[in-house]
Amino acid sequence: MNREKAIKTIMMSVVASESVVISTTGLISREIFERFDSDRNFYVPGSMGLASSIGLGLAVSCPKERIVVIDGDASLLMNLGSMVTIGNRHPVNLLHIVIDNGAYGSCSEEKSMSDSAHLDKLAINVGYKKTYIVENEKNLKDAILESGDGPVFVLAKIELGGRRDFKRPLKLPELKERLMKSLERDKEKNHDV
Amino acid sequence: MKVNKNKEKISNTRRGGHSSKADQIHEVLMEFGVNFVSGVPCGVLRQIIENFEVEERVLHLPANRESEAVGLAVGAYLGKRTPVVYMQNSGLFSSSNDIASLVIPYKIPILFIVSYRGCPGEDAIQHLATGQATETLIRSLGLPFLILDSKKEIKTQIRSVLEDMSRKKLPSFLLLKRGWQDEHE
Repeated sequence: MNREKAIKTIMMSVVASESVVISTTGLISREIFERFDSDRNFYVPGSMGLASSIGLGLAVSCPKERIVVIDGDASLLMNLGSMVTIGNRHPVNLLHIVIDNGAYGSCSEEKSMSDSAHLDKLAINVGYKKTYIVENEKNLKDAILESGDGPVFVLAKIELGGRRDFKRPLKLPELKERLMKSLERDKEKNHDV
Repeated sequence: MKVNKNKEKISNTRRGGHSSKADQIHEVLMEFGVNFVSGVPCGVLRQIIENFEVEERVLHLPANRESEAVGLAVGAYLGKRTPVVYMQNSGLFSSSNDIASLVIPYKIPILFIVSYRGCPGEDAIQHLATGQATETLIRSLGLPFLILDSKKEIKTQIRSVLEDMSRKKLPSFLLLKRGWQDEHE
């Protein structure tokens, strides 16, 4: 599985469930922005590592929404304490997917330390409800669809490489307002029911 | 203050003791609608943190590191909450990139309550360099800050910071020096 296929599989699976997507810094966010932009997406431009923290803050604030964090291995390793906080708060509406290419893929593919970190075991040890390791699109899709109540951790192993010339999200305040309006509409919808 | 009954145990054994100034700060924050708080503790902020711990109107989600607190507050803001982040100025240095590369470009108003260690007269040598650079750091990011002046009325000072923050949609800072709780200075 490569990055393109992993992202496509994740986005096709989560679009159907109207989840909110928080994606990490670099090529992951840029690929999602160019190919799967939606008012349900939030891109983390700098502040590498914070996608899962932003996802947790949103998950506890909007318990009726399903929040999907699309992280990278090196970005998660930069903010590993966030996994402990997620395990501690145990948000049922949080799905934490890590696209793991074992490298700083958005830099020059310098090696990260994910191969010795056993992130899937760590997730269980700190309190996530379920964990998956997947290496192909079918297993990735199945994990997302069957995961149920969270917090769920999915480690998606991918190969290095892939396209790099994606455009960047630039109009950040507009993208923020767009997501907040979409969440507001959901609130009204939930209220009506 | 609306005290959550489940949290009474904490409030009965307050570690920090009462501070009328902390209570005044708390009142202004509640009046402004603050309902989400994250941060990493500093002894200088203990009464402020305890007020958050026992406040039922606030979702208090402590962090392991200040950067994490910044991310949590951003997520809460997207979810229509009004966040505050507390930390020591040492943590402001370690999370300054997150403020610069996430909070500023997305124009997210977050009030940071920061203890201002390393001021003249302090003996803890590890704080001196950050103390000397704190105001310069915030100023260099183009962000507003207020050093709480014990001679002026606290509520008025903080209200003006919050109003300014809402208008400009920028993170803003409240700096509290050691001894800020004292009634007479």
